[in-house]
Amino acid sequence: MMKQNFMFTSESVTDGHPDKLCDQVSDALVDRFLQQDPFSKVIAECAVSTGILFIAARFASSASIDIPEVARQVIRQIGYEQADFNARDCTVMTSLSELPSLPHPHIDEREMDEEELEAVTAKNQANVFGFACNQSAAFMPLPISLSHKLARRLTAARFQKQIPYLAPDGKTQVGVEYREGRPYRIHSITIVATQEKTAMRGVGPLRDDLNAHVIEPVFAAETLRPDSRTHIFINPEGLVADGGPSLHSGLTGRKNAVDTYGEYSRHSESALSGKDPSRIDRVGAYAARYAAKNVIAAGLAQACEVHLAYSIGISRPVSVQVDTFGTGSIPDTEITARILDQFDFRPAGIIRAFNLRYQPQLFRGVFYRRLAVYGQVGRMDIGLPWESTDKAALLR
Amino acid sequence: MSRLFDQMQRPSSLGTGAVEAEPLELVRLVHVAVEGRARLEVQGLYRCDRVRHKLESALRKHAAIREASANVLTGRVLIIFDPARDLEEIKTWLEQLLLDAGQEIIPENSVDDGRSLRSSGRPISPVISSDFNSVLPQKGENWHVLSSEIVLASLETSKELGLSQASAERKLGHFGVNSLPETLPRSGLSIFLGQFKSLPVALLGVSAVLSAATGGLVDAAVILGVVLINAGAGYVAESQSERTINALGHVAEQNAVVIRDAQLREVAAESLVPGDILVLTPGTRVAADSRVLESRNLMVDESMLTGESLPVAKMVNRLDKQNVSLADRLNMVYMGTVVTGGSGLAVVVSTGRYTEIGTIQSLVGETRPPETPMQRQLSILGNQMVLLSLSICGAMFLIGLVRGYGWLQMLKSSISLAVAAVPEGLPTVATTTLALGIRTMSRHKVLVRRLDAVETLGAVQVICLDKTGTLTLNRMSVLALHSGGRRITVDKDVFYDAGVRTDPYQNDELLRLIHAAVLCNEVELNGERGNYVLKGSATEGALVHLALAAGVSVDALRRCYPREQVEYRTETRNYMSTTHSVRGGGKLVAVKGNPVEVLEMCRWWLKDGARLPLTEAERTAILMENDRMAAEALRVLGFAYTEPKQTDQSSADELIWLGMTGMADPLRQGMKELIALFHQAGIDTVMITGDQSGTAYAIGKELGLSSGTELDILDSTRLDQLDAEVLAGLAQKVNIFSRVSPANKLQIVQALQRSGKVAAMTGDGINDGPALKAADIGVAMGDTGTEVARNVADVILEDDNLGTMIVAVSEGRTIYNNIRKSIHFLTATNLSEIMLMLGSIGTGLGTPLTTIQLLWINLITDIFPGLALAVEPPEPDVLQRPPRDPREPIVGPADFKRYGLESLTMSAGSMASYGYAMARYGGGPKASTVAFMTLTMGQLLHAYSCRSDHISIFSHETLRSNRYLDTAIGGTALLQWATVLVPGVRNLLGNTPIGPLDVAVIGAGSVLPFFLNEATKGATFKGKRGQDLLSLPPPSKEYG
Repeated sequence: MMKQNFMFTSESVTDGHPDKLCDQVSDALVDRFLQQDPFSKVIAECAVSTGILFIAARFASSASIDIPEVARQVIRQIGYEQADFNARDCTVMTSLSELPSLPHPHIDEREMDEEELEAVTAKNQANVFGFACNQSAAFMPLPISLSHKLARRLTAARFQKQIPYLAPDGKTQVGVEYREGRPYRIHSITIVATQEKTAMRGVGPLRDDLNAHVIEPVFAAETLRPDSRTHIFINPEGLVADGGPSLHSGLTGRKNAVDTYGEYSRHSESALSGKDPSRIDRVGAYAARYAAKNVIAAGLAQACEVHLAYSIGISRPVSVQVDTFGTGSIPDTEITARILDQFDFRPAGIIRAFNLRYQPQLFRGVFYRRLAVYGQVGRMDIGLPWESTDKAALLR
Repeated sequence: MSRLFDQMQRPSSLGTGAVEAEPLELVRLVHVAVEGRARLEVQGLYRCDRVRHKLESALRKHAAIREASANVLTGRVLIIFDPARDLEEIKTWLEQLLLDAGQEIIPENSVDDGRSLRSSGRPISPVISSDFNSVLPQKGENWHVLSSEIVLASLETSKELGLSQASAERKLGHFGVNSLPETLPRSGLSIFLGQFKSLPVALLGVSAVLSAATGGLVDAAVILGVVLINAGAGYVAESQSERTINALGHVAEQNAVVIRDAQLREVAAESLVPGDILVLTPGTRVAADSRVLESRNLMVDESMLTGESLPVAKMVNRLDKQNVSLADRLNMVYMGTVVTGGSGLAVVVSTGRYTEIGTIQSLVGETRPPETPMQRQLSILGNQMVLLSLSICGAMFLIGLVRGYGWLQMLKSSISLAVAAVPEGLPTVATTTLALGIRTMSRHKVLVRRLDAVETLGAVQVICLDKTGTLTLNRMSVLALHSGGRRITVDKDVFYDAGVRTDPYQNDELLRLIHAAVLCNEVELNGERGNYVLKGSATEGALVHLALAAGVSVDALRRCYPREQVEYRTETRNYMSTTHSVRGGGKLVAVKGNPVEVLEMCRWWLKDGARLPLTEAERTAILMENDRMAAEALRVLGFAYTEPKQTDQSSADELIWLGMTGMADPLRQGMKELIALFHQAGIDTVMITGDQSGTAYAIGKELGLSSGTELDILDSTRLDQLDAEVLAGLAQKVNIFSRVSPANKLQIVQALQRSGKVAAMTGDGINDGPALKAADIGVAMGDTGTEVARNVADVILEDDNLGTMIVAVSEGRTIYNNIRKSIHFLTATNLSEIMLMLGSIGTGLGTPLTTIQLLWINLITDIFPGLALAVEPPEPDVLQRPPRDPREPIVGPADFKRYGLESLTMSAGSMASYGYAMARYGGGPKASTVAFMTLTMGQLLHAYSCRSDHISIFSHETLRSNRYLDTAIGGTALLQWATVLVPGVRNLLGNTPIGPLDVAVIGAGSVLPFFLNEATKGATFKGKRGQDLLSLPPPSKEYG
């Protein structure tokens, strides 16, 4: 049973946050490899600290890519132009090793027959989770949904020069109070904004600007808005100059909750960014979300978590668990049966369903990178295949 | 306008606003962290030799100052002073000194062109002249922010007239000759005197004096003889190598074309002065740092200075920013660079040592080379041996006195033992071996500039390689083309389409692409067919070469389509276009440039000879191919053309895409194999390149730089901003440094050294100097290298072939091993002499060896086998072993233990023989002779034992024979037997004839220890060898 009355806080970070910067570099590399060679195998991990960006990439691909240049592009586009950290001057250390390429020619998952789809098995033991609930239009938990909106708005305010002195790094948190399992009021809002060292403002002006250009526009369209008792924390630990990698270091895969459901439901420990579609721990999470979201869209429950367990050498998940936390209109086992009927959870099936190998080409080389910030699920801005509710009718 | 006015008023204060804002001090404390040591910045010192001279001599007279050195390049003085004294007091004294001296210095300064003025135009002190007319903007870096009019005005010259001959001569007097100071060769005397600066030699000198004082004139003469032979050998060896070095070619006399008295004149480059107007034409070597006044597409190759292998376009406009790097000062040309295209005029602003090159050369003079491992170790070893032999001889003297021997006899014996025991042959053997090594290497076209570099070569753990010029040929050529959606590769002037040989004449769009590449091209073609000389930029030259390879008649084609108009690429427009008239009316426009920009202008493309509209899909495919070519280490150019109707003006819209060319600087042959050899020898390779990381990765992979494991690339334009500790940590891992400028090489080499590596570094440019000098082994190219690089390098590859480096390494390791063998032999045999003497005197058996016998052993039986061991051939596995640990001493405690045991067996054998002879003949010459013979024969046999520390006569592996050793031992053995068989020699050494039984005893006493030593050899080494890895399956890379 789901808890009835509680408070829940989720956080999001802007694209300039060092951890997210690393995620974006990792996924930008995945994009570039897949763009040139859709059958690239690539694992890209990234770490950043003052002035140095480390990239460890292992790949098997016919693509050839200037990896530091890709990283510099990401840094440039995020907008780091500080003396301590910028696209031009930062040092990029790459550690590259090539994986042995597969001996036989690749088969395009889109052209595979049933037997071939079955033959592509999971290469790892993996638990993946998908979640959806009817707390927001995107079927995401409200705290993470609001945090992402604030983070996006924070970045937009910088780019649109509404708050021109902001630096790229930032963090937002939204605490939501629940009554009887439903969001009841906004308990608290936290924004940590960083400022360019060269144009620092005091706490007062910053608070006014953030209120006017970030918080108000975000909540204008929301049904639940901050009330007089809502705590609003602006930079609770003081002003931050520059921020970013010159202040704190970052690492790929350290913001898994931001990528998923803001800790509101379970999420896998393994990171999503920096992996090509052949990795079940990445694409499985998308498939699970797809199933969960369609369950909600079909009106079968108010909240739904789908857990897929994969095992080495087997293509179908060895276990599919659905939990509606007592909100289901039909038994969870019945939902499980229906989604097993409608969804293909085999690795090759997922790649085929979401066209994962060709998305970077369709999106002109920027697909996975966009997932790396503001959530890999619950995105309504890209037209992600796993956010589509096309199977809802079939589940009813 | 107001800014300009400001500049006119105070030209020398340009861009130094920050300095002006602070109150100016005559003397500023810069670094005072270390007690008794301070660095001060002194106004007026910068670039002024006279001030430096005055300062230094005055400072040295000051009671509290122990040492002072002033640097004209930094404008700073380093003083080492009595820590008890107050620094402020010294500072005040110095300021007073400057003020007092002001009267004296000013007139000199104004004659000296005011070069001492660093930053301020304000009349702040008598040292700094405020006289406007004589004050020129002296800070070399500032010229690029001035407009050319101001530059001309402040240099009192004009573009049209130039300087007058008279004023040029006057200025020459003020500014000095325009030449770079050359490094002085070491004088013969200093080389000779250098040979005496060692402790063992000093001890021998003392021994000689003592011997002379106690009446042993013969002994004294012999000792002095030993010393002189040593010094002579060292002198011969070192001066020979010094001669080899100095024989390296000097830069030939150089002339420059200038405008003087409104006429073109060719003058000697040395006589150039600031204000001279240089005429720059292709091929001209810029003779002094100058500000560009006119540029007609002036292109300058600045690779000597900046390492950038592509020529830089020069312009006239002044730059806004003051702090731009040399490479970006587009309105300046620098001494030593070469004009590769276009023409122009420039006004000389700095000459001689004040040019950028001159500054670099002076910096080179200041970087201290690290002491090589052998230098340290040999001196430590020598001192240890001296102490050891002194104490033993002292002990022996005392024991002798206690035992009741006469003090004079004991003193003489002690001294002769000391002489015998001190391995004075050591420096000789080392020097000779190293010198011989230099000669061997020069046969392989490797010139070694410093004696001790030879052994450092053997210790090299990591070698840093320049990509351009060292690993590559430094020659651009087209390797790939992309046209009509097809990838065509070019290998050795042959075209291949998907691996199949293809003729460009069968492929319409390819041929058109080549035609456009020739037409939109300014390379001049001179000379005969089949033997063309191309004149112009490397890139365009590569395109013309491509056309010639395709069989296109370049001259005829250009005659068919005469060029009417050229539009050069600009900063905002990354392409160049040429308009040609077509015979029979009509025009043709050819475009060449950045593929992305050229493609954007095209609406059509050619495929299989047909003109097709460019769709989005084709554009994407072309752009991806562009990315791919770029990442394959290729420099990519896009081509397009159109034949507009005469009336049609908006021709650019109708451009037809032809394709792309990808060119690269090809790798030299055999580099991959060479890299593998380095790895096999346990030497890490690091490539340094200014290329993008993608290019660098492609090359690194091709070369196998990481030998199969992951390839680590550090991509940075600002290595200097990185924390030194971090860089040191990273440098241990990095295989490639990409996008670095040559100036960063110094940081790279220092980072490697900080992490404890012995690093070699290759380089040939002028700006490689500091790095070459700082490296443990600086390697310069003899043919293409600059004088600066050659002068600071430790090793010069005469034929520019990096492959000889591995020979040098093998030779270096062998030499080090051989010196070890010599030390092994000398130490073990000397110890055996000491043990024999000490043992006999200690047990009351008297002195077994006479003074003259000891010296005989010392001079004859020690030296020759020792020398012969030093020329041992390389051991078979010398290049399969990792480099030795530079921190490990040349002879460690374990070695000493082993040597001690060996000498113990030898002296035991000799003692036994001596005991037998004492028993048979009683004390006296007879017994001495037997002991003498046993010991020397044992020592000679021991020389064979010293040939290897792990291969014995009982091993399966065999060593290559050493003819010199066989001769030395055979000859010495003959001499040795002569001392008992030939009466004259016998009497000199005080020997007696011996009988057959004695011979048998001598044989047994010398051979048995030899077998014992051989049998026990290698026991300590077995653990390290034969540990083959079990055959495991190759490790997986898939995990994670």
